[in-house]
Amino acid sequence: MKFHLHVGVIETSDEATLEELLAVTRLGPRVLARVAPNVAILEREDAQSALEELEKRGLHPKVSK
Amino acid sequence: MSRTTGQLQGYRAGELDLLGVLETAIAQNPRLLKGGLPNLAFFKAANEALLEPDTADDGRGFPQVEFWLALARGAGLLAAREGRLEPTAAADRFFAQPFAQRRAALREAWLTCAELNELTFAPDLELPGLKKLRTVDVVSDVPPPQRVQDMRRGVVRLLREISAETALSSLLTLAEARLRDVLIDHSDDASWRHVFYRGIRERGAAEDLERAGRWRQVEGAFIRVLCELPLSRLGYVAWDGSRATLEALDEPVPESAAEVVVQPNFEVVVLGEAPDTAQVWRLARFTEPVPGRRVRKYQLEKKRFAEALGRGQNAQELVALLASMSRTPLPQNVKFSLDDWGQLTERIRIWPDALFVEAEGVENLSDTLPAALVEKLGLVPLGGGHRACPAPDIAALRALMPARRALFDYSRALPRVMRPARGLEIEAPRETLHFRARQVLALLTRQEGADRYLLDPERVAKAAPGLGARELRGRLESALTEELWPQLALALRSWSGEFGSVFVGQAELLLCDDLDQARALALQPEFSAWVERQLSTSAFLLRPGAGERVRAFLKLLGPGTVRSSLTGRAKP
Repeated sequence: MKFHLHVGVIETSDEATLEELLAVTRLGPRVLARVAPNVAILEREDAQSALEELEKRGLHPKVSK
Repeated sequence: MSRTTGQLQGYRAGELDLLGVLETAIAQNPRLLKGGLPNLAFFKAANEALLEPDTADDGRGFPQVEFWLALARGAGLLAAREGRLEPTAAADRFFAQPFAQRRAALREAWLTCAELNELTFAPDLELPGLKKLRTVDVVSDVPPPQRVQDMRRGVVRLLREISAETALSSLLTLAEARLRDVLIDHSDDASWRHVFYRGIRERGAAEDLERAGRWRQVEGAFIRVLCELPLSRLGYVAWDGSRATLEALDEPVPESAAEVVVQPNFEVVVLGEAPDTAQVWRLARFTEPVPGRRVRKYQLEKKRFAEALGRGQNAQELVALLASMSRTPLPQNVKFSLDDWGQLTERIRIWPDALFVEAEGVENLSDTLPAALVEKLGLVPLGGGHRACPAPDIAALRALMPARRALFDYSRALPRVMRPARGLEIEAPRETLHFRARQVLALLTRQEGADRYLLDPERVAKAAPGLGARELRGRLESALTEELWPQLALALRSWSGEFGSVFVGQAELLLCDDLDQARALALQPEFSAWVERQLSTSAFLLRPGAGERVRAFLKLLGPGTVRSSLTGRAKP
């Protein structure tokens, strides 16, 4: 096991939702790793900007702080 | 400040005031100013949410709000997060406790609160000795936190001796006899140094108060403030401000006397003066509170609902809670929307600042992760068998994590873990790879062996438009232990489009041996028609077919002015 501290993590209900999210937020090229089909690892600021972009569109994901 | 508590009194009334301040913090999410306090708008709004608001026209500001704010912070119910004041998980735990335990917890928070000095709330006193943020000037007699705490405890002890209704003046007599030197030391009042209460004066006065015969005016004012606010609002005594009397209060566990109405416009109204504060707090945590005194309103909103789910609440449980609170069945549109919001929110989960525990290979983290780590950090399982939780303090993490495991802190520069090998190969040992290095490898290379990767032209060309050629090179360079080797650098910069194409072929040159000769030629009117590009101060690339015209022009200047060989000078 490896411990990665201070990363942004996005998990979606399925792979298609994650693809859609990354397309909408234009963060696809900035993803650090896809550790599962529905889990993406990003830098913290990219995860924050994904969150802001989603909220701007009226979507309110589950945020764990 | 209140003189009476109306029908509600004791801790019951106090807790509603606390709830009003906390709800204002939820609704406003106020930014903290440099001094660590929220802005005036917050104080005004929170004051309006109190049962008996302060008027703020006596120059003392909003003592009740200050009091509850200090207590809430002291008890950990409110805390600063990213520069804003927010309720904490401790607030949820606080309101989940029974009435008596909540009261005991707040009393203890008050007794030990160092942020608060009740002398500042005395209406007839002014404390020029008190600097900004209630820090005590060394040359003033304004009591430091320890003395304030001792005085609070002393007065609480005295209250045990009161059984029937007692006048404040009687309490002061008792206190002066028993607690004379607790708040401010009077043992050396005969000394010339202690003629005055240094830094304490009557409101509007130019001089500090003389000590002689003023104990009741200073320490007495402190005790009066205690009676009016903490002792009364925390349920120690029933205080009658109009008669200045107090009486020990035996406050039973209250019965809720309120009704909750959920309206089709998504507004939840709590009617009645004595709602169950624990229940109302749960409501406030997944709605947008509209703080008010008699009628409390809560707006059901998608964002607040999602925030509650992010804190670990369950959508179905929240709907069930709302249904159980409402005196009538939930309106269909409200129930449908809440279910819908819950489903939409659960589709995407984001940890903006996380600890991610990666399961490698076929590893099952359920078997290998220490139970204490999972429990204390609240690690939740993700797809692929991995785990995540909000980022903990690194020291706490190190204390809990198993020995000899890799920990990468992405808030810092990470170690360089890849090295260029032969040609276009890169070596990257798997056990040291972090996500940033893996991103670079995934973007630019294909795997050739367990730890060997080869720069791939197709992947480089695909990644370059999105990130930019320079960014790509920067990422690779920042992950390498050594400088990019020339072959690797050339390939990367060419494939990413950073380098354009190179001309390889035959061309005609105009080459001068003398700089002045080159300048003289350049001044000829025909020159721009001959030359495609200047290569150096004395060398020019000629346009196709221009060589013949240049030769013809030069021959007009005499023999030996033009040659066809690169070596040798035609004329000395």
